[in-house]
Amino acid sequence: MTLRLVLNGRPAALDADPGETLLDVLRREAGLLSVRPSCGIGVCGACTVLLDGEPVSGCLLRAAQAAGREVTTVEGIPAEHPVRRAFAAEHAFQCGYCTPGMVLTVAGMLEETPEPSDEQIVEGLGGNLCRCGCYVKIHAAVRRAAAA
Amino acid sequence: MSDGHVDGAVRYAQDAELEGQWHAAFVRSPLPHARVRSIDTSALPRECVALLPEDVAGVGRYGCQLKDQEVLADPARFVGDVVAAAAAPTRAAAREAARRVQVDFEELPAVFDPITAVSEGAPLLHPEAGESAGDAVSIGVRPLAGTNVCHRFRLVQGDADAGFARATVTVEETFRTASAQHAPMEPHATAARWTPEGRLELFTGTQTPFNLRADLAGLFGLTEDRVRILAPPMGGSFGAKTFTRLEAVVACLARKAGRPVKAVLDRAEEWVTLNRHPAVVRVRIGAAADGTLLAKRLDCWVDTGAYADCGPGVATKLGYAGIGPYRIPNVRVDALAVYTNLPPNGAFRGYGATQSVWASERAMDQLAERLGMSPLALRRRNLLRDGDRFATGEVMHDVHFEECLDAAARAVGYERDPRGKGLCVLLKGMQTPSRAAIALERTPVGYVVRCASCEMGQGVRESVRLQAAALLGCEPGQIEVPDPDTDSSPFDTRTTSSRSTHMMGRALAKAVADLRANGGERGHGEIVNDGGIDPDTGQGIASTHWHQGAAAAHVDVDEETGRVTVEHLHAAVYAGRVVDRAGAELQNEGSMIMGVGTALFERIEHTDGQITNANLSDYNVPSAGDLPRRLTHELIEREGAEAHGLGETALPPVPAAIGNALGSLGLDLAELPITSERVLEAVGARDRPGAEAAT
Repeated sequence: MTLRLVLNGRPAALDADPGETLLDVLRREAGLLSVRPSCGIGVCGACTVLLDGEPVSGCLLRAAQAAGREVTTVEGIPAEHPVRRAFAAEHAFQCGYCTPGMVLTVAGMLEETPEPSDEQIVEGLGGNLCRCGCYVKIHAAVRRAAAA
Repeated sequence: MSDGHVDGAVRYAQDAELEGQWHAAFVRSPLPHARVRSIDTSALPRECVALLPEDVAGVGRYGCQLKDQEVLADPARFVGDVVAAAAAPTRAAAREAARRVQVDFEELPAVFDPITAVSEGAPLLHPEAGESAGDAVSIGVRPLAGTNVCHRFRLVQGDADAGFARATVTVEETFRTASAQHAPMEPHATAARWTPEGRLELFTGTQTPFNLRADLAGLFGLTEDRVRILAPPMGGSFGAKTFTRLEAVVACLARKAGRPVKAVLDRAEEWVTLNRHPAVVRVRIGAAADGTLLAKRLDCWVDTGAYADCGPGVATKLGYAGIGPYRIPNVRVDALAVYTNLPPNGAFRGYGATQSVWASERAMDQLAERLGMSPLALRRRNLLRDGDRFATGEVMHDVHFEECLDAAARAVGYERDPRGKGLCVLLKGMQTPSRAAIALERTPVGYVVRCASCEMGQGVRESVRLQAAALLGCEPGQIEVPDPDTDSSPFDTRTTSSRSTHMMGRALAKAVADLRANGGERGHGEIVNDGGIDPDTGQGIASTHWHQGAAAAHVDVDEETGRVTVEHLHAAVYAGRVVDRAGAELQNEGSMIMGVGTALFERIEHTDGQITNANLSDYNVPSAGDLPRRLTHELIEREGAEAHGLGETALPPVPAAIGNALGSLGLDLAELPITSERVLEAVGARDRPGAEAAT
């Protein structure tokens, strides 16, 4: 099938099998390697994308479910976006594998809750794991982005 | 740190695309110990290649410390052991092909814990003791013939029995730690190709490119220069991506397929690739009435799983780290690395110290209680100081244990009110002996710094860049640090034991001096650290440089539910000179957070050798919501000091600090993780009528 969607602000048509996940299609057909496989069951957030602005796990979503919708990966978040700037300024990463998913989750979180409390930040990050354990600086990055 | 991380531009081994590459999948044993009777490939689809025992008959064995591993296992020695493999044009097709390979097994008796495995009549995993891998490693390996013991480390200092005879108070207790999964966010990934000239090239996430090159060259009977390892950044490792993992089987598949082959593991396969050694540690420690330590004895059973991997090294470091940073005149340590029918256990952030520090430092608090002394005072009385001799016989320099311990105690107000609070202090060795080298080259815009230190998120590239810029008097942006490549990077022992910032910093200084002395275009610098300890006596140079740290925890316990809340966790680590402040802080924070997982919930569970929680839903790693309510730390610095590695020092003290905090409330925990069930048991034991009188 041909999957038609708006990908990072532009119309796109991607080849996809009906049963495939959005994660696999974005990596193979669009070369978006910032969307990363990790847990395979939607608990770690490394494959997070924004679907019409909402963070979702690319490993759980069938590609067909994205038809006609707007999908944003970290490549669609401009370098000057407060969340990207905040992650860089706070050094809120180590290996960087989870970072694109974190950035998208936080961008989605701040869209919905522009001034999150500490509890809301912790809750909002609950679906994104960082095995390097950068949570202290990620939390600081969320606060910094919210204040920007 | 470059923000190639933030924009998702970093490319890992799993992203490798070699022209014409196929994908690999593995046929794994469903039984914990079984001979392969026959393999039926008649159901295989046309477009695929299967790797079968006859394809690897001429290939040797591999292993970093003992050559006890075959490319395809027969017998299979754990559930998940690879007995055949398949390659096909897509990952899905390879998996389908692997599913269609039918293997007929003959089941053998199996053993799943190290104590049973060393008892009389236990099934033997490797009846013919493996051949020592010689110079791939730096410790003498001591397998005990005819047993499942692949290595015995023994340390003897003074006369432990005589010391105990003089002791006024002696404490003896057995402690246990669980197996854990590294769970790097990027799973293991390897791509292999054979060049038309017969060279093997591997793009692989690894911390050990030169060890891997030596191991594979030995396996295929090639000279080392016929094997090339290219090591892109890893999406985390924590020890998981050390030595030979998928590389041997993927190389064999690529050879058979006549084209490049790439393997990326599924998450579940991580649990059958490498885990952390669970251990049983029996501690006996004796002191005079004033708290002066007189004798210590450690008996350690270190479960290395089905293959030795670096289990001998882990048992050795576990053995001497369990002595603790104390002056003890009489010490005896026996640490056994033991085969069981479980997936192999290997290097894991903390490298043995996590297991034995838990035991040793819990026992110190138990001893303090028996002596009627403060745990802080007992430790201070016995800590190693500059010029003291450690139990290995080496004289200690640049010693900061007391400073670390005092800083940790101060942070939680330990002396004001020790209730609900616990302390832990540790020493941890750095890989010794070892070598490191740097090659510098001037470019039109700055310098290229070639070194084999592998980036796994610990920030080694940034630490090398910053140190090079400072020494060369240029901007960090003018320094290029390419990915390790065994064809062009000078030899380095490996990126383990938190050695790289320290060793590469010293090699850089020499390389810059060489460059300046020789026209400014090129420079080479090499550092050789001699040393090593005798595996039969534990005497020698265990470490040319000691990692030193302490932690303090303040906990609150809900005695109805057994839930432990860590109100405050603090770590104090001796850093010497800090090279990259944000990077250094991240190492402390990451170590502490991983330590919280080990302390409170991380545990691999298995039934009859089958792992039952091999996914990130049933096996929890710390998330943002699992952090202590306050997590603080400090880097202890000293003017003019060398840079000290920081990658793992703050992990091992966390479980014991939390365990000792519970101990201060009368809750006696001997086994990790400290689950709610175990806390409730400890509450029950404390409150049982007569419990007070018994102690």
